[in-house]
Amino acid sequence: MSIMKHWIVVGTMVGAVTLGTQANKFASIVNPPTRIVGLQAQDTHAAASLLGQFRTSFSALLYLRADLYVHGGVEMRPLTHNEELHGRTGASEAKDEAEKLDGDAAIVTVIPSEKEDFRGIFGDVERRVASYKDMAEHHHQSPTQTLPLFRLMTWVDPQFIEAWTSAGQIILWENKKESSALAVDFLKRGLDQNPESIDILEEIAYCWMKDNSNQIQPAHKFESALPYLLRAKEIGLNNLKTLSDREANSLKDNYRKLCICYRELRQYDELRKVAEEGLNLFGEDASLKMALAEATQKR
Amino acid sequence: MKFTAYKPLARSVLLESLRRKDLWVVAILGFLIILCAGTLGFFGFDGLEIFAKDLAVTVLGLFSTIIAVLTSCRLIPDEIKNRTLYPLLARPITRFDLLIGKLMGAVVVTWISFLILCGLTAIALTVFHVQFNVIMLQYVFAKMIGLVVICALSMTLSIYLTPNASATLAFILAFGTPMMTRGLTMSATSVGPFGKFVYATINGALPQVQLFDIGGRAVYPNWAPVPMWVIGFLVAYGMIYSFAMLGAGWLKFRKQAV
Amino acid sequence: MHPAISVENLFVQYKTKKGEIVDAVKDLSFHVQEGEIVGFLGPNGAGKSSTLKVLMGFVNSQSGNASIFGEAAGTPESRKQIGYLPEVAMYYPFLTPLETLTMYGELQGLKGPWLKKEILDLLDLLGIGNSAKKLNRSLSKGMLQRVGIAQSLLGNPKLLILDEVTSGLDPVGRKELRNLLKQRQQDGATLFFSSHELAEVDMLCDRIILMNKGEFVEEKIVASLKDELQTFALVYSNMTSLRGLTDHIVVRDIDKFEARFGTKEAMITAIGRVQAGGGQVLDVVAKEGSLENYFVETVEAAA
Repeated sequence: MSIMKHWIVVGTMVGAVTLGTQANKFASIVNPPTRIVGLQAQDTHAAASLLGQFRTSFSALLYLRADLYVHGGVEMRPLTHNEELHGRTGASEAKDEAEKLDGDAAIVTVIPSEKEDFRGIFGDVERRVASYKDMAEHHHQSPTQTLPLFRLMTWVDPQFIEAWTSAGQIILWENKKESSALAVDFLKRGLDQNPESIDILEEIAYCWMKDNSNQIQPAHKFESALPYLLRAKEIGLNNLKTLSDREANSLKDNYRKLCICYRELRQYDELRKVAEEGLNLFGEDASLKMALAEATQKR
Repeated sequence: MKFTAYKPLARSVLLESLRRKDLWVVAILGFLIILCAGTLGFFGFDGLEIFAKDLAVTVLGLFSTIIAVLTSCRLIPDEIKNRTLYPLLARPITRFDLLIGKLMGAVVVTWISFLILCGLTAIALTVFHVQFNVIMLQYVFAKMIGLVVICALSMTLSIYLTPNASATLAFILAFGTPMMTRGLTMSATSVGPFGKFVYATINGALPQVQLFDIGGRAVYPNWAPVPMWVIGFLVAYGMIYSFAMLGAGWLKFRKQAV
Repeated sequence: MHPAISVENLFVQYKTKKGEIVDAVKDLSFHVQEGEIVGFLGPNGAGKSSTLKVLMGFVNSQSGNASIFGEAAGTPESRKQIGYLPEVAMYYPFLTPLETLTMYGELQGLKGPWLKKEILDLLDLLGIGNSAKKLNRSLSKGMLQRVGIAQSLLGNPKLLILDEVTSGLDPVGRKELRNLLKQRQQDGATLFFSSHELAEVDMLCDRIILMNKGEFVEEKIVASLKDELQTFALVYSNMTSLRGLTDHIVVRDIDKFEARFGTKEAMITAIGRVQAGGGQVLDVVAKEGSLENYFVETVEAAA
């Protein structure tokens, strides 16, 4: 009986591994591109709540890991106020300015460099066993390697808007002829899950605006972007009082992009209208003011 | 020191652990790892090699530390509580020999558990077509040395504290030392030479468990293997720290009325 | 030649959880010579176990000396010569008696096929040979006690220190153990054991040491003590004066008296007087003294 039990355990393990290795064959059947029905917000059942918490926590963790993977495991942190007071600098030490990203000047590695480490040999050893690079050698891995992670994130939590939009940006980052179409395709799956999302709509529009596949009719990309921007504007205006800060920012960006599209399509009346509408909503905004000035002048 | 005493003591710890089915828990955990990996593979997430390896070293680090602490923390208190200590101490061995023998038993149990988990995790990683390389072997070796430090630390704490308190403190030190070290290095830039000396003393007293974790580097494909002098340093540091811990435990245990 | 056990002016103190200092042993001195069987007696809390723990090195004394065959008690060198059975000991529940004894034997410095043979012989001798490969957790209390006795006998130690040796054993087991211990004594071993079973002490010991409240009370050769405790009774008719021989006379009938004597000689003299006075000796009885009464009376007197 005891031997039998052992065999059942071993058999189940082997079965799980075999199933795992052969999984791709079943993928198209059991793994639809996205889930059609997400967890309903009004579902207050304890299990649903717990599952929801797990989904958001897990996908948030994956989001943070994605950033770490882009840096090859090198953990970074912002400079503390005290460090800034003592004149410590971050990425400004980088030799290659081309590799320096926005905001890196205020970021250092979690493991300090040799000259800033008081730990002696312990520090030397840690710099060799952990993923450590001096900020002077700071560079990124290709972010496209994190795409499967974003796919996992959006599968676990289809309402994770930042994951959808970040993944769209990463696909676009490759700057290939088909990049925009691929990014739009991915983002449309996100839109299916989140039809009221201003961010995703705006991101789809942005992907179209960056499309370089159609060299014969360059205006085509702005025409393709426009419906998404208009839809995003409509949603934004309908929910103006309940927009989060992030959504409000997206709405502002949406107005700017609308201005760009109308300008590129030479629709100056529309340009003036949206610029005025945007300025009414968001007050002083340099981009919108410039757009309004241009529209007035061109008329 | 009586080397012939260590083998029987360590063997008894291992046999007890095996028959108590402690290692079954490890096997079940490993099975769950495979199942999770299999499930992930089932849904067709290709290209998650780094994530799978990252998850694997996180799980391995977590479970092996838990096993090391829980195994080591209860050995000496259980001997006293169950009165199995008397016939042992009646033998012509010193109490230091007893501590070493028991520590060796805890280390063997922890190592076997860790290697079982490593083996099962390696099977799980094949789902993601992960290639194994030298740095992964270095990870396993360094982790095994690190587990000796955790076992010695936990056993020593259990001589001074109750089993529950010692387990709690051992977990705090095992999982919290990297964070404490981060805190020290972050604030070190704004202290003077005396402050740095105090920081270095605190840092030296803490078990530098993060040094034994090459997992953060092993999961990425672009990192070179760790230099051999570093591995040599880890072995030497692990042994010195473990003996220092045992010595600290012995200071109390040698005079302790049982 | 050094005595097997030498204890001189031993003081042992404990600290209670409240921080109070308790004297467990006060100025204790005694010796056990090689080849003796000595019983260590006393009521609960008398300090017997504390003394044994000092001899084994489990507890440190505050002052005084204790040695085993001339070696300071508690050192590995002294423990090489001792087989010790604790009062209450558990044996690893997930090991078998064979594995348990192998471990203890190896710690004793024994090894190889000789060790295994000795273990199996000992287990057979103690009647648990059939359980050699069962887990300790499945054994009864009596069987575990036999495992404990077996571990104490491993390696043929010169000195056996046994704390409550017959605890948990049935009458047959006790008899077998008595024979085994007697055999060990004949082979040259010294036995020093504490017990509450006075009948065991009576049957096994050459000498007893009595303690109470941490202090030495007295020591006695068992054979002499038995003589001391033996009483004699004479039942006779016709009133006769036995003045000077005993005051302990009980009237059992109108013309029937019972007189008790501490010594045989007094009783023989009394028989002469009864017969000389025209009386008739109806019965003569020799009664064994009660070790239990002696124990209780002596302890009470010492308290």
